[in-house]
Amino acid sequence: MPMTSTADVVVIGGGVIGASVAFALARRGASVTLLDASTPGRATSASAGGLWSLGESLGLGCGVILHTAQQGAGDGPAPLPRTFMDFLWTSNLRFPSLAAELRTLCGIDIEAESATGLLYLVYDEEQERHASRIVEWAGSDHGSVEKWTPQHIRDRDPLITHDLRSAIHFPGDNQVNPMLLTEALKRGACAKGARFIAEARVRALRCSNGRVVAVESDKGTIACGAVVNAAGAWGAQIARLASIEIPIHPVRGQIICTEALQPGTLRSNLSTRDCYILQKAHGEVIIGSTTEYCDFNTGVRYEDMCSLAAGAIRAVPALRNVTLKRAWAGLRPGTPDELPILGPAAELENFFHATGGFRTGIVAAPLTGEVVAASVLGQTPEFPIEPFLAHRFQFLTA
Amino acid sequence: MSHSAIVIIGGGPAGMSAAVAAATQGLSCTIIDEGFALGGQIYRKPTNPERAPAPHPRGEQLRAEVAKLAQQIQVRNGDNVWGIFDELRVAVTSPDQHTELLQPQAVILAPGAHELVPPFPGWTLPGVMTPGAAQTLIKTMGVAPGKRVLLAGTGPFLLAVACQLVDTGVHVVAVLEASSRPAWLSLPLHGFRTPKILAEGLAYLNKLDRAHVPVRYGRIVVAAQGETELNAVEHAPVDAEWFPDNNRIETEQVDTLLVGYGFVPRVQLAQMAGCNLELRPDVGGWIPVRDRNLATSVAGIFAAGDGAGVAGSLVAALEGQLAGMAAARFLGAIDEATFTAARDPIEQELVRLKPLRRALDKISALQPGLMSLVRDDTIVCRCEEVTWREARAAVDAGSTTYRSLKMTSRAGMGACQGRFCWPFLSRLVAAEAKCSLADIGPPSARPPLGPITLGALAPQAQDK
Ligand SMILES: Cc1cc2nc3c(=O)[nH]c(=O)nc-3n(C[C@H](O)[C@H](O)[C@H](O)COP(=O)(O)OP(=O)(O)OC[C@H]3O[C@@H](n4cnc5c(N)ncnc54)[C@H](O)[C@@H]3O)c2cc1C
Ligand SMILES: Cc1cc2nc3c(=O)[nH]c(=O)nc-3n(C[C@H](O)[C@H](O)[C@H](O)COP(=O)(O)OP(=O)(O)OC[C@H]3O[C@@H](n4cnc5c(N)ncnc54)[C@H](O)[C@@H]3O)c2cc1C
Repeated sequence: MPMTSTADVVVIGGGVIGASVAFALARRGASVTLLDASTPGRATSASAGGLWSLGESLGLGCGVILHTAQQGAGDGPAPLPRTFMDFLWTSNLRFPSLAAELRTLCGIDIEAESATGLLYLVYDEEQERHASRIVEWAGSDHGSVEKWTPQHIRDRDPLITHDLRSAIHFPGDNQVNPMLLTEALKRGACAKGARFIAEARVRALRCSNGRVVAVESDKGTIACGAVVNAAGAWGAQIARLASIEIPIHPVRGQIICTEALQPGTLRSNLSTRDCYILQKAHGEVIIGSTTEYCDFNTGVRYEDMCSLAAGAIRAVPALRNVTLKRAWAGLRPGTPDELPILGPAAELENFFHATGGFRTGIVAAPLTGEVVAASVLGQTPEFPIEPFLAHRFQFLTA
Repeated sequence: MSHSAIVIIGGGPAGMSAAVAAATQGLSCTIIDEGFALGGQIYRKPTNPERAPAPHPRGEQLRAEVAKLAQQIQVRNGDNVWGIFDELRVAVTSPDQHTELLQPQAVILAPGAHELVPPFPGWTLPGVMTPGAAQTLIKTMGVAPGKRVLLAGTGPFLLAVACQLVDTGVHVVAVLEASSRPAWLSLPLHGFRTPKILAEGLAYLNKLDRAHVPVRYGRIVVAAQGETELNAVEHAPVDAEWFPDNNRIETEQVDTLLVGYGFVPRVQLAQMAGCNLELRPDVGGWIPVRDRNLATSVAGIFAAGDGAGVAGSLVAALEGQLAGMAAARFLGAIDEATFTAARDPIEQELVRLKPLRRALDKISALQPGLMSLVRDDTIVCRCEEVTWREARAAVDAGSTTYRSLKMTSRAGMGACQGRFCWPFLSRLVAAEAKCSLADIGPPSARPPLGPITLGALAPQAQDK
């Protein structure tokens, strides 16, 4: 195929991570081409859009649902390493300013909410013990994690079930519209000079002397100075095009969504051991989500729809009579240790990873874009990326 | 609870014929239809028999055949099939929200088609509806849709509905047929093997002539006017590609406008079941890929009738028979010889009907001019009230697939999942982005297809 164009950096994958990396690169003045192919199951379009830096790193949201499904409530899931919690926390703090910047740059409101907070509902004694450990672990370094009484919950969100013991409130854990965020980052990148090519499935990487020299796609071949692998759950396939192995696995998440209700019907984002529940800006209530390894299958299972519905009705009984609009599934880019894979590949001088966002890819996106862009351009990332280097899996892939 | 060997979705001519064929071979079938009685679109049964016209005799006959096999055929009317899951599991919910998962050994999809309405300025005004909706009012309740009615679109269905309106005493101002008169005059050349159908068409024209209803060829509606409801319609003559001549617009004062440009197969259940689709604009758009025996790409799932490619009620009934026999063979109820002996005459009949059908499809094929009516502020997705300006901005920014356009503009995000807007929106997108309809793809189909509540999925859920 003839060389159709050139770019300093080619970013492969137009989900939230690729868009954020492209935006950060373009902002630093690099010439960027962002390639995407629409693939069923892409995580960003399936995502709930929770910005739960503390909640998810403490094992709530999907973590506790999986844990409950696998072994009953018990001790509750273990928290993720503190460095990662700090990474998500730092990233989450970017949203207010990022929202303002993107609004000015491309006129898109990413619907980043600032005051909903996440509420973890505690139904029984076992969960109560888990909750106490969470409060302890979170400590006072990140905002003010609080325990709420049933009365307090009722006063603020009267539709929440009265049949609970308490709840933990995470004031900083809010939400965003993941697709609008991605679209705004993409258009923002373009406004700063980047080029976006849709339906450009990457088929091959041309390598020579330990470097990638060109990316071959359905929409032409692009000569490049560096490549960023932001292909989400398909990240291992892209790496393999350069004969690199990384342990990325698709992790299916099924999710259901109701018709639009009056916005503000639910004030908090809710996490329970059965599901999580959040009302989006347009009024739909999203109820997620399973966490399953089933290869690239993007189907929805009847039984899982039923258990999500049951979990939602338990938490918010009034949802019983609400009409279901849609069920779908997405593929999270999962890694063995649940941490992302970011930064340079050891095998090729100019090949960088930005994948493995797993269940926190949306909240992680702003900082992920910054640190990967810095690392591509040879600058010092503002947050250390050593814990996230692909290198840590050498023993797995050797 | 049903443990039928075969679940048939849709109780129109295709579904009823399929059930009769399979039940005659001794198989147990369940027909599920969301309507209150069997019949489907064409053979719909009146709810108000005193006022509504008498039901079609062919429909009565099929209903009687089904009734005779009541031992084998269970009929579930009023129930909605909203999903097909792995291993042929069919999710059904009744109006009281009782939900069941049926697990037959074979499924016959016979869900029919829905009507195709292009967006044009004013098309969402009250008073603008489809010919089928007007027909349903007449057929079930004997109620007229309006006082002064204009019909516009393409195909013989417009003439049929115009005649029914005349019979109900409605003043039909005119029928506007987009294709040219010479094109229609060529039809008898292709229909000489099916004279009865041609005669039916001629009878419609005669009746309209006697009622002084003009049929005006080569004209389309370009805009509907009105503040809160329809009061006038603008129409114009078109060229061979249906581009209107805006210097020759005529305005007609009417309270009702019926617009129908053919039908789109309802393929969502086939999609959910994982059946491969192919793009066939000549028969309505995306259809399930089928083999000679109407088997889809998923073992045990067959598809018949308008839902697998629009071809009318006669073809639907024949296909239903064939699908019923094919399912019986699939389940081992009949041997190969019996099956082929049954298939041969059905295929011969299908071949006889084909030339006329092909000619009709060609005459009524949508032309690009129809896509030129949309203006910036025209709504292109009714559920989410997305305008063409908003959708086009998303297309121009690179959102050229159903999935990406939905996410960035909300077009197709509503309850109908793009079923109604996407047939035209995809054409607008293709023109804007200079790509093909095949590249753009069908809208994705996700459960639930019809409205169900969360409670329907979790009747036991604790809520104290
Ligand atoms: C149901 C569900 C709920 C979630 N909820 C949350 C949440 O509340 N909060 C949160 O922070 N995170 C959440 N996540 C996780 C989050 O959505 C993901 O971590 C994140 O979207 C990953 O983004 P990505 O850009 O890496 O991947 P993707 O969005 O999957 O993007 C990858 C892109 O690469 C493209 N691609 C693949 N192969 C090729 C190729 N060969 N050529 C070109 N392009 C290619 C794909 O088509 C796709 O567009 C959720 C995930 C799921 C599934
Ligand atoms: C509105 C309309 C009016 C028509 N009127 C005429 C006419 O007057 N004359 C004429 O010659 N042709 C008419 N046609 C065309 C003609 O009806 C069809 O060619 C013929 O009925 C096709 O038969 P079928 O069995 O394939 O589908 P249909 O007759 O459409 O039957 C399909 C049935 O399946 C049901 N169904 C679909 N999905 C589900 C689901 N998920 N759950 C439960 N039930 C479901 C539908 O409600 C319908 O009753 C009309 C078509 C339409 C759409």
